[in-house]
Amino acid sequence: MSDARSTILSAIRAALDRRRGGPAMADESSIAAEAAHLRTRADATRPDRLTGGAENAFLERLVSPAVAATAERVASLRDFPAAVRRYLTAQGLASSVALQPHPDLFALDWSGIQTHGQIGIDEPVAVGLALGAIAETGTLVFHSGPTSPTLFAFFPTHHIVAVETGRIWNWLEDYADAVAGCAQPRNVNLITGASGTTDIEGTLVRGAHGPGWLHVVLFASAAPSPDRSVGSDAGHFASLDNLK
Amino acid sequence: MSGARQRLSFDARVRDALADPLLKVAIDRTTGNARAKRAAAMAAWPGFSAARELGRDIKDHVIAHLDHYLVQFERNARSSGAQVHWARSGPEACDIVVAICRKAGARTVTRSKSMLGEEIGLPHALQEAAIERVETDLAEHIIQLAGDPPSHIIWPALHKTREQVAELFHAHHHDPGTLDSIEAMVASARRELRGRFLAADVGISGANFLIADTGAVCTVTNEGNAELTTTPPRVHIVTAGIEKLVPSCAHAMAMLRLLVRSATGAELTQYTTFHCGPKRPGDLDGPAEFHIVLVDGGRTRMLAEGLAEMLRCIRCGACLNHCVVYRQIGGHAYGAVYPGPMGSVLTPMLDGLPQSKDLPRACTLNGQCQEVCPVAIPLPTLLRGWRDRIWSTGLESVTVRQGFAVWRFLALHPALYRQASAMAVWMMAWFARGGWIARMPLAGGWTRYRDMPRPPRRTFIAQYRRRMPRP
Repeated sequence: MSDARSTILSAIRAALDRRRGGPAMADESSIAAEAAHLRTRADATRPDRLTGGAENAFLERLVSPAVAATAERVASLRDFPAAVRRYLTAQGLASSVALQPHPDLFALDWSGIQTHGQIGIDEPVAVGLALGAIAETGTLVFHSGPTSPTLFAFFPTHHIVAVETGRIWNWLEDYADAVAGCAQPRNVNLITGASGTTDIEGTLVRGAHGPGWLHVVLFASAAPSPDRSVGSDAGHFASLDNLK
Repeated sequence: MSGARQRLSFDARVRDALADPLLKVAIDRTTGNARAKRAAAMAAWPGFSAARELGRDIKDHVIAHLDHYLVQFERNARSSGAQVHWARSGPEACDIVVAICRKAGARTVTRSKSMLGEEIGLPHALQEAAIERVETDLAEHIIQLAGDPPSHIIWPALHKTREQVAELFHAHHHDPGTLDSIEAMVASARRELRGRFLAADVGISGANFLIADTGAVCTVTNEGNAELTTTPPRVHIVTAGIEKLVPSCAHAMAMLRLLVRSATGAELTQYTTFHCGPKRPGDLDGPAEFHIVLVDGGRTRMLAEGLAEMLRCIRCGACLNHCVVYRQIGGHAYGAVYPGPMGSVLTPMLDGLPQSKDLPRACTLNGQCQEVCPVAIPLPTLLRGWRDRIWSTGLESVTVRQGFAVWRFLALHPALYRQASAMAVWMMAWFARGGWIARMPLAGGWTRYRDMPRPPRRTFIAQYRRRMPRP
């Protein structure tokens, strides 16, 4: 298919040359400078809702009717299993969950809940740990990897997710800037509320193909340590220490 | 739509659409919802007009350096392990996709909604190749059951009322249940498609953005069907138009703010995913093979022939929802993959002007489409450009050409023009009853669907002369 490639690229160059009035293609550094300028212009256009701080903005957005997730705060990740138990009881669900294979989750005391590491397509409940969150839109961030399979966020009916307060970015671009230059995982999943569809008459209905319920448990960061990383995601994102 | 409807003339398709009472109900329900939600989202976003200028400038920047960004994207995608293919045309793209499917021994493919897939005729190509296609987007699932083409680029099943969807599901689903609410219909589709996600050999998606500096492909969905389509099968194929590039993930974020609010009124889709390469060593899920097919399909011609501004289009559908013509006739009457204002600009380029010369004229030039466009495409200007081309290439019908010849003659002879218009105004008064004209010779095209207000008794010039003080 190299033939198609060269045909397309030369057609583009011929058309652009005519527009530019000659084959004076801009050099890479001036293109990069232009792109960087466009990036900075975005800052002034963002909706202003961060005045109460990233944590509050994130939670507010998350439980707003548009996103419609549920959320609670706990003191530390150690309190996550208790929060999961409360959720299961409140929703009348069986005490059996698919547990995302993350070492930080495996290290917790799950007594009273049956956990399994495999996830089935009709899994009632999955419990996971997000890499971080974005306040602007009430979004959870997942990077696929050995400790964070993509399908954990898509197979279950109920998805219960822990996220750390210190890992909330203010704006969408802040996340993008934080991971710029890092090796990309197979999937970056930005998840904003439970699955939904408006395909029948534009009416929103939850639980289309992905989860019908999303519950977020926000836990306070442990005392800051400079070389803290996100479990085994560290290989991908060693430079995520300065999140904000 | 059946091939038979496709072969009808534009006028006949419009007549059919206007005569269908359910269609109007269906269009009003969805586009009304869409307009209200978009308006609310924009009202809550003071930065919209600056963001729109930025969106336009990001796209223009990419288009001005399209060769640079395509090569950069290809290099980064390859180094992430993706296989990148190039296709000059729709058929060439379909051949590539079918060849990958055959090589993978695919019997079943799942597909996540992609307008480019429709544009290149992928559903048909898969059928020809005897590969079973399972549409996983709810709306695409509905129209696959109905055997219809999409009628809207965001809501492909917009032409179906909930009652019609219930009938379809009742007839086709294995376990439809009661289907007495939209919730029940969504649940039935979920049950029906659940097993299909795991059974597929290949998953096919489109791309909302191609990220040049990482080689990643961004998809947005609300249902989660894209990830269920692209993760379990052994092979994931992306088909993407070459204009989908953005320089980086941060630029994609600025574009996402515009795209999602313009399309559904939400701030971000439930699932915004960046796919980069195949699954990594140690990953517990994800495809072993990741293919990206970059499709020209007329885009380089658009760049060369004065339609570069149309390459900004991010397929949000806002221009359709706000178009007074689309809202009367719906998507199928356009007889093309892309309906509405953006479609009427694209279709003459994709299908040829002689076959689609009616579309640029199916427009009142009221400018609403340009006003709501999140990347400020001057759609009315581009439509007028096609009208110029229709005229200059002699595609206009003899009747219209003669009509214009008469008008031109009169316009060049003001005294005659005034006499003729005075006579017309006088005659129209004859047909008026109570201030409105319900029927009049030569005006059936107008009066069949609405009355015409009775004109003033005298022409503007005549009134002006009477009112002006004499010198």
